[in-house]
Amino acid sequence: MAFQIESVVEDKAARLTLHGELDSLSARVFQTEVEKIANQDIEALVLDLEDLNFMSSAGLRVLIYSKQKIGPKLAIYIVKPQELIVDTLEKTGLQHSVTIVDQYPA
Amino acid sequence: MMETKSFPGVVDSLDPLRDYIGELAARAGLSKKKTYSLILAADEIATNIILYGYERAGLTGDFSVLSEVTDSALTIILEDIAEAFDPLARELPSEEDLARSLDEREIGGLGIFLTVNGVDEFSWEYADGRNRNKFVMKIEGS
Repeated sequence: MAFQIESVVEDKAARLTLHGELDSLSARVFQTEVEKIANQDIEALVLDLEDLNFMSSAGLRVLIYSKQKIGPKLAIYIVKPQELIVDTLEKTGLQHSVTIVDQYPA
Repeated sequence: MMETKSFPGVVDSLDPLRDYIGELAARAGLSKKKTYSLILAADEIATNIILYGYERAGLTGDFSVLSEVTDSALTIILEDIAEAFDPLARELPSEEDLARSLDEREIGGLGIFLTVNGVDEFSWEYADGRNRNKFVMKIEGS
């Protein structure tokens, strides 16, 4: 399924909704969106992954990049990730650096 | 019997590659989780072949997927004609590396880590001018 991304910035939170499959091709689009919001005054990056079916390490690298680019105070929320994507976050230890939630704001 | 399918060595091939690996996994009767892990592993290795083996080296070429389903396992081999590259030569991230926070993470090594951890067997060899990355998934209940 083709990758799609929507981005909204509101109340110091950037909400990106990802659909489809996140591989090294679509990760470039994801990274471009992160670069666009990186210069704004953002405290939270909210990634809605309910409709994301696949994420490779290229997607993980954009998560790492986001934190390093926007700053250590950035909180990253992942909303409703699919089970197999949670597995990937757990295997790579990234679940400690993000907050997995059912909805945002709580 | 081995089946072979070729893909152009470009990132646009990753999507059809994943579909094809998904079909092979379905034929072998792999579980949803094993199917996902195998697709992820093949995507990671194909990405390295495409970005580093071909694009960065200024080469154009195809890569092939050779596959075989038996009663006990699905075996997939990704073959390319780029320079010899052993994905296992680099040290995998350690427990300590994986426990680091995002701000102090190194960005590399996660793809091969997910590959090795996601399949039952992974190996690499270089023979006859080709890299052969081999993945084996055992079939449950066999």
